[in-house]
Amino acid sequence: MMKQNKSNRVAVRSKLTAVSSRPVNPGTIHSFTGLDHAMALHSVHVIFYYKEKLFSYFDLDPFRVCLSETLSLYPPVTGRIVRREVDGEWEVKCNDAGVRVVKATVATTLDEWLATADGAEERLLTAWYDMPHGDSSSWSPYRIQINEFEGGGVAIGLSCSHMQADPTCVTLLIKSWAETHRREPVVHPPSFDDLSNSPLTRGLNIHNTNTKSSRAYYEAKSMAAQTSLILKKMGTATFKFSNEVIKQSLLEIHQTCSVATPFDLLAALFWTRIARLKHPKSKSKHSLSICVDFRKKLLLSYGYYGNALHFSLLSLPDVEEKEDFRDVAEAVHYHVSSQGEGEFWSALDWFESRKEEGGQFGAPFRMYGPELTCMSMEHMVDFPGITGNKLLMNTAVFDKENRPVHVSYHVGNVEGEGLIMVMPALEGGLARMVTVTLPEEELEQLCQDEAISSFSSLNPIMVLSGTRRA
Amino acid sequence: MPPILPDFSNSVKLKYVKLGYQYLVNHFLTLALVPIMAGIFLEVLRIGPEELLNLWTSLHLDLVQILCSSFLIIFIATVYFMSKPRTIYLVDYACYKPPVTCRVPFSTFMEHSRLILSNNPKSVEFQMRILERSGLGEETCLPPAIHYIPPQPTMEAARGEAELVIFSAMDSLFEKTGLKPKDIDILIVNCSLFSPTPSLSAMVINKYKLRSNIRSFNLSGMGCSAGLISIDLARDLLQVHPNSNAVVVSTEIITPNYYQGKERAMLLPNCLFRMGGAAILLSNRRSERRRAKYRLVHVVRTHKGADDKAFRCVFEEEDREGKVGISLQKDLMAIAGEALKSNITTIGPLVLPASEQLLFLLTLIGRKIVNPKWKPYIPDFKQAFEHFCIHAGGRAVIDELQKNLQLSAEHCEASRMTLHRFGNTSSSSLWYELGYIEAKGRMRKGDRVWQIAFGSGFKCNSAVWKCNRTIKTAANDDGPWADCIERYPVHIPEVVKL
Repeated sequence: MMKQNKSNRVAVRSKLTAVSSRPVNPGTIHSFTGLDHAMALHSVHVIFYYKEKLFSYFDLDPFRVCLSETLSLYPPVTGRIVRREVDGEWEVKCNDAGVRVVKATVATTLDEWLATADGAEERLLTAWYDMPHGDSSSWSPYRIQINEFEGGGVAIGLSCSHMQADPTCVTLLIKSWAETHRREPVVHPPSFDDLSNSPLTRGLNIHNTNTKSSRAYYEAKSMAAQTSLILKKMGTATFKFSNEVIKQSLLEIHQTCSVATPFDLLAALFWTRIARLKHPKSKSKHSLSICVDFRKKLLLSYGYYGNALHFSLLSLPDVEEKEDFRDVAEAVHYHVSSQGEGEFWSALDWFESRKEEGGQFGAPFRMYGPELTCMSMEHMVDFPGITGNKLLMNTAVFDKENRPVHVSYHVGNVEGEGLIMVMPALEGGLARMVTVTLPEEELEQLCQDEAISSFSSLNPIMVLSGTRRA
Repeated sequence: MPPILPDFSNSVKLKYVKLGYQYLVNHFLTLALVPIMAGIFLEVLRIGPEELLNLWTSLHLDLVQILCSSFLIIFIATVYFMSKPRTIYLVDYACYKPPVTCRVPFSTFMEHSRLILSNNPKSVEFQMRILERSGLGEETCLPPAIHYIPPQPTMEAARGEAELVIFSAMDSLFEKTGLKPKDIDILIVNCSLFSPTPSLSAMVINKYKLRSNIRSFNLSGMGCSAGLISIDLARDLLQVHPNSNAVVVSTEIITPNYYQGKERAMLLPNCLFRMGGAAILLSNRRSERRRAKYRLVHVVRTHKGADDKAFRCVFEEEDREGKVGISLQKDLMAIAGEALKSNITTIGPLVLPASEQLLFLLTLIGRKIVNPKWKPYIPDFKQAFEHFCIHAGGRAVIDELQKNLQLSAEHCEASRMTLHRFGNTSSSSLWYELGYIEAKGRMRKGDRVWQIAFGSGFKCNSAVWKCNRTIKTAANDDGPWADCIERYPVHIPEVVKL
């Protein structure tokens, strides 16, 4: 009964199309890289929460005018995904059609929502429809949902197809929008350079022995995608760890591994605890798929538009038995730092060759899964070009007095063991937020897990986890 | 020369003959007077001043006769000046520029059409073909309510659009002219399809707190030519009321009239009509004669409503599903041509130079008496006007008029570019076109402008203005063309590939 009442809290009121302020040059095309193409099954959802109202009457507010001006910088965002006639590959026809904007109201206050809503309900704030199989020329690859809470409070939800952009890219779009609203210059305008045509960034194509492993891993993933998984109902919970908590734990861990980062720490913690909850006979719990962003490592422009994610596999045979996760953290750290240019380039080349093959062989497959995936957003800390608190998410400030109070990231169509996203918390410094997507029963057990709740003898704050409490 | 001799017309010799003929007939009186005056002057010189004085005293004029003559002269002069119609000055005007968020690119329009009319692919196909050939550009605007899927044409949204367009245009007019709201004596608002209670003119009076003894009028239902009808009304009122200011607001509110059905004849206006409005300040005050931009010379109105076909050719009605829309008949262009002919028959004698009128008269006599097979002579209106503002009703209208009046591409440029940039903004399109000509710096003192508008009913109205002072394009001009005039003129392809 409670659940039914809850699901009615978000009500969609109207739908419209927002256009860019300047017409796009006719005939502009944005092509996808092989990696973009492979991500097609997933979608990215970002939600920014603000305490105060951002606009009065949406239709004529400067808020919307600034959106139009920002969209002029991003022709692929207002375009439509079509199949190229030559070889049937997807590409974006930048035809200036605009972005779908949905307006919704939420029948509760912002604070109440953050305390009581769970992941499933939060998805209603960025309602999304996957690309239709037939004619996709009227389907908007980006959707913005403006949700207004009672008593003020706004949540801006932006969803897009993962084929177009990754979470960093989407965050940069909102950042550009906010900068335009504050009448400041856009620090990271999008760059649409073709990856494969950049010999400067490629440098010497270093052939490591390790490069074979990334290709092999992706091969295995694409094979695994062909076997269908038992679809379990997934739930989401978010854990917030404050600056002090992380600092203290890092001090402890630096005694053994001196260069561990908060990501290593939290990834190890959650992996060990989740591995215990899995079925004792399942092999996949020994594997963790680690996803990192390679904009910095490949010296790409920070405004690079598209996907710049790399997945790699870390296997530890007895991870669920480890009481002290510090060894695991060390392993994670070593694994992450060993990912180099060679790895990234060989993976990209593999995707390109796959795309060229086309047909069934070139079809996109499930990138997040089937094993447990852990996504790192450490690159958002100390993001270049930002003064003050150098956190990327903190730059989505439309109005100086109205900073975001919470940010949520989700990935759509995650199947398999689950997804852990470790991202910087808005308070800055070492504070982190971990969003865990797991099958329902495992999630329940995880929330009760003592190791997590007694982490450094301070309870993590849980938000957007429904009625679950640590 | 009559067009039955086309080969000869192209030769240079005939061109000079034509020029000589025009000069002779147009300046006939001057040419006749000059030798007479020269003769009198020579005679006076020959006679000498003493002889002239003798001539004067021999007339035996006494005081009474002199007084009577002077009174007679003064009396005639007074009657003349009293019965002369007051000069109507157009002090300035302001056109509304919609915000960028209201822009409707072709792809957005077609996408919405496909989503809303998903069950009628033929209607969607029809709209696409119309849009491809329409002559519109990618920057035309529709009101915010129409951007929703499905559109939300509530009365509140319609009022919102009216307030947005009219108040913006009026604020702009106040700023340009320095007019104070309390100084408005006459207010005329014309909007054909949206007529709420209280009227739009009452809305303006309420917003700007205009005087209680203002003479306000609201014209609705009169179609795209209502702008010139309002000017005509303002002129008549300004004849009666001395020392007055009249503000005319011309607009068309699109929100409540966006057709939501699937009949093809009624979907056509959706493709062409766009958001726009203009506010014009007219005055008969002598103090305005220095800074006024134009003087109103003639307004000619022609109504073909007596003819049933003309009456029905633009008709608002319900379709089979009960949805209200404006249906345009296929013979619209032919009726427009007829109405135009009727209008220029009336306006011709008023504006054409004597040379053209003489030719027309001679051809007419010739057709009646000598040979009925002679083609009727189409007077060359390019000699009567420097600029033409043809209502941007659609590409077909402009093409038709260009052909009928034998205008060059440059004459029609203002109309075509307005259609491209702003779409068919109904009664205010003439003002956008005038704004284009001014923004291009082509308006000089003494230039004559002919504004032609067509409207439902079927009406053809014309206004003739004379430029009062050369209009310089200011660097800080913020008219609707300010940010894009450098891009114009653009080449508009016959068919845009969608």
